[in-house]
Amino acid sequence: MTKIYPIFILITRILLGLIFIIASIDKIIDPAGFARDISNYHFVPFGFENIIAIILPWLELFIGLGLILGIMVDGASVISGILLVLFIILIFQATIRGFNIDCGCGLKEGELVGWRKIFEDLIFLFGAYFIWNRKVKIFEFKY
Amino acid sequence: MTLTKEITLYIVSSIIIGLSFNLGRGWVDGAGISLLAKELKIVSDSEQAFAILSDPRVSIIDLQSAIEFHEKEILFVDARAEEYLYEGVIPGAISNDDIEALSDEISDLIGYNKGFVVYCSDDDCGSSEDLAYELQERGFMNIFVFKGGWKEWTDAKMTIEVNIDD
Repeated sequence: MTKIYPIFILITRILLGLIFIIASIDKIIDPAGFARDISNYHFVPFGFENIIAIILPWLELFIGLGLILGIMVDGASVISGILLVLFIILIFQATIRGFNIDCGCGLKEGELVGWRKIFEDLIFLFGAYFIWNRKVKIFEFKY
Repeated sequence: MTLTKEITLYIVSSIIIGLSFNLGRGWVDGAGISLLAKELKIVSDSEQAFAILSDPRVSIIDLQSAIEFHEKEILFVDARAEEYLYEGVIPGAISNDDIEALSDEISDLIGYNKGFVVYCSDDDCGSSEDLAYELQERGFMNIFVFKGGWKEWTDAKMTIEVNIDD
């Protein structure tokens, strides 16, 4: 178990990192589309969806790279946890309000909000916690 | 490095790169967006709204838009005379010298409200505009004229479709 544990942490880092990187690419390419997806949630005050659509994908890309390359892993795991909690709240409120909208998650085109998506994000959130709470650090830059 | 510093560094770099990239894209390919979303204009009276809805449009597009429209599988209509078509057409483009038959074909394919592109040989040919207005009179609501036409399309080395039967 002790030998497997660091490998398990590394695999979780790579998987979560890849998820964030993949999720960020479409959003970086099409910020207008992502802004529309955010607006559909009816959660962000009107006007602010654009600034979120400009910055958030880059944050996702950077934490994804950070997790994989071992750069500021603590910061990356905490930010990914916070983002995932926000995503879960957003999707949850949209689901219970009965919105039939594109989740704008960037992983699969045309994916709708719903309980499945919440469950997926909960697993990712557990992964982020697992990384943050790691006891062993391997393949990480030290500062 | 403390956790707070790491988080700050991630956020600050995302803000800087995000804003710069958006600004850069605004210059390079026009895909940048404004920092704050603009509210859609409210049309105050229903008469004005109906006028917008029922107002047929003929608009001019450039090569870049024509390429993007083509990628999005918007219908293209070749306005050149039949004898020019042996050179080829923009892939998927339809053509017919008989305006009645052409009009039926377009309405069967996409109806009257969906936009489509009309083109002819080049900037000077004029037949694309004539055809656009003729089609507009027949009830088509949203027509785009690709001014550069066949010449600009082939000069840009875009793919063409040659019908061997012709």
